[in-house]
Amino acid sequence: MTRSPSITAPEADDPPAAPVESSARRRSRRVTARPVAGMLFVLPFFLVVVAFLIVPLGYAFWLSLSSKSLAVGTRFSGIDNYVRAFTDPLLLDGLLRVVLFGLVQIPVMLGIALAGALTLDAVTTKFALAFRLVAFMPYAVPAVVGALMWGFLYSRTFGPFADLPTLVGGEPIDFFSVSLLLVSLGNIVTWAWTGYNMIILYSALQGVPREMYEAAMIDGASPVQIALRVKVPAIKQAISLAAIFTVIGTMQFFTEPQIMARFAPQISAGYTPNLYAYNQAFAYSDFHYSAAISFALGFLVFVVAYVFVFVNNRRRGKRA
Amino acid sequence: MLGTTWLAKLRGGLAACGLLAVAACGGASSDDGPVTVSVWAWYPEFKGVVEAFNASHPDIKVEWTNAGTGADHYAKLKTAITAGKGAPDVAMVEFQQIPTFIILDALADMGEHGANEDKGLYADWAWEQATDGEKVYAIPVDGGPMALMYRKDLFDQHGIPVPTTWAEYAEAAVKIKAIDPNAHIASFGSDGGWLNGLMWQSGCRPYGYSHTTAKDQVKINLTAPECERVVDLVGDLVDKGLMAKDPFFTADATAALDSGKYWTWAAAGWTPGYLAGSLKNTAGKWAVAPMPQWTAGADEQGDWGGSTFTVTKQAKNPKAATTVARELFGKSDAAWQIGLDKAFLYPLVKDVAADPAFTGKAYDFFNGQKVNEIFVPVSEKLGDFQFTPFQDFVYSELNDRSAEAMSGSRPWSTVLEQTQENVVAYAEQQGFKVGK
Repeated sequence: MTRSPSITAPEADDPPAAPVESSARRRSRRVTARPVAGMLFVLPFFLVVVAFLIVPLGYAFWLSLSSKSLAVGTRFSGIDNYVRAFTDPLLLDGLLRVVLFGLVQIPVMLGIALAGALTLDAVTTKFALAFRLVAFMPYAVPAVVGALMWGFLYSRTFGPFADLPTLVGGEPIDFFSVSLLLVSLGNIVTWAWTGYNMIILYSALQGVPREMYEAAMIDGASPVQIALRVKVPAIKQAISLAAIFTVIGTMQFFTEPQIMARFAPQISAGYTPNLYAYNQAFAYSDFHYSAAISFALGFLVFVVAYVFVFVNNRRRGKRA
Repeated sequence: MLGTTWLAKLRGGLAACGLLAVAACGGASSDDGPVTVSVWAWYPEFKGVVEAFNASHPDIKVEWTNAGTGADHYAKLKTAITAGKGAPDVAMVEFQQIPTFIILDALADMGEHGANEDKGLYADWAWEQATDGEKVYAIPVDGGPMALMYRKDLFDQHGIPVPTTWAEYAEAAVKIKAIDPNAHIASFGSDGGWLNGLMWQSGCRPYGYSHTTAKDQVKINLTAPECERVVDLVGDLVDKGLMAKDPFFTADATAALDSGKYWTWAAAGWTPGYLAGSLKNTAGKWAVAPMPQWTAGADEQGDWGGSTFTVTKQAKNPKAATTVARELFGKSDAAWQIGLDKAFLYPLVKDVAADPAFTGKAYDFFNGQKVNEIFVPVSEKLGDFQFTPFQDFVYSELNDRSAEAMSGSRPWSTVLEQTQENVVAYAEQQGFKVGK
């Protein structure tokens, strides 16, 4: 049995630095002798990555460097498309919208997921198993089906929610109105992804040594204290991972607004950056500008993700 | 939801084509067998039309794919055209999309294969939109002459006269609200094509474009008084709560039509077919009247929708493809029998539209009214109307700016002004010289 000196858990997944370095050096010396077999094992994956990621990315980047206007035709235009993208009010509006959306939706969803994971970890009955399955189920529903389903649930005629306020004499709710639309969309995303994140966090909790809880208990910590001050810090890495995936997903927000647009006229052609890129390509036939938007968006996602990881690492570094 | 299933099926189909048998998926035949012509279309009941064509043309075999309805279909078609391969030989294209596909260099000139012979066969306005001088880019099939559908039972019961002018229409809207606070005279459908049809009927001619005369010149004039008065009218009705805000073709809008929440719909010649299947409760209670006029006693008409067959430049055998485009419907009695009786298309073939079998047809949905007696003169009255080569952008602007007005973040009076400004900026960005 190990005893921790403090209630705060050590970072279990912080690898000791020295051995890694030395083993890396050892490996690099033997690199020429690496058997061909190893390369062959990697080859299928490598080919798929090249064919379905590197080549399309390169092609899209090449597309983004030229412009095709309807009247004039295609010409090389360098960074013109990017200048246009970063000064396009429609695109910037959409970007601002997903950032606002993310600032509210991501903490809410991860908060619920974390609370759920901690509860599941603390309760070990058959009910917990069933709950895990049910919570995960929305993730198994394709996003298109989920969005359509919610479209009907929000409907004034067919949905059960819109008329609820009329029971107490209020006005029916219009879930597609401009003021509620982001909330309605956020609810769909939260519904679809909370269970998934909960399972990630729950799995991470399974990897925390049980002895730490026992130690905390002996030190007199209440179950709530154990959850917040032992379990949460112990799975911090998993929480950041879930957060970063969610941030990336939010920046690429597309399916739900695209499907809901048929119910909600307030969803404009540039409602989210990805929707705008889609419409530029597939409605307005401007594949070049669409490629530039996609690349600019990809770059932004990269920057946001990098800053997030950097800040996170520094915070960890400071504490250590 | 149906759409999703079709999409899934289509994806499966496309994947199978790509992986397994290129030849079986639209390759021209080599020996003495019939030439295969691939067709993308989403007409209802189209299977029978294809079968009728194949039965009467032993030398051509049509292979039909439903690539989705409207926007889904166009997204695939535009992608295939940009990619340079994968497009069908013959594609269904709605009138407002023809200039868009012309400027994408997607359409073959069927005039080179004798299609100019069909000039007299079709309604003049439709032929004008489908052609550019001697160049025949499209063969008209069905149209959407507009008329006012209304709940005859409710109008009669409450003694409201059927509006003959838009001013009377607005008065009726107030009366309807007074009778039933939950009812609306109609819905603002957030449909660019519908708004465009109303503007057409108001005498507004907002666009001008001819690819043959000047491919880089386009006229945009959405702020003419004839256009503005339409948006003023519907905007005012929406602001006063007299017109609902449900987008057309949603389950909510259909349910509202079928439950007495909407009393009218300024709709198109194809609408009866679309409605007859969906409105079970109110079938037999509807009637059709001519569109309300802006000036009492005038006879201004408009069109909403309608479609054509085009031959793409990727067609392997443009001559055979032209035959398919001209004769799938064209003069085929068998095809029109299906088109009229089952798919409820409004025929743009003059002889078919003038046939007593069509004009004299009584519709149960309209309690036995011979509604084509109203629709046919409308189609005959339709004159010149042109579209831009970027109509998707225009409709999207119209919808987005109207949505802003509906949510109160913009006065209705600025909807067309802002649309005009954005469309002009877009056109100039796309390299057009813009005039009014």
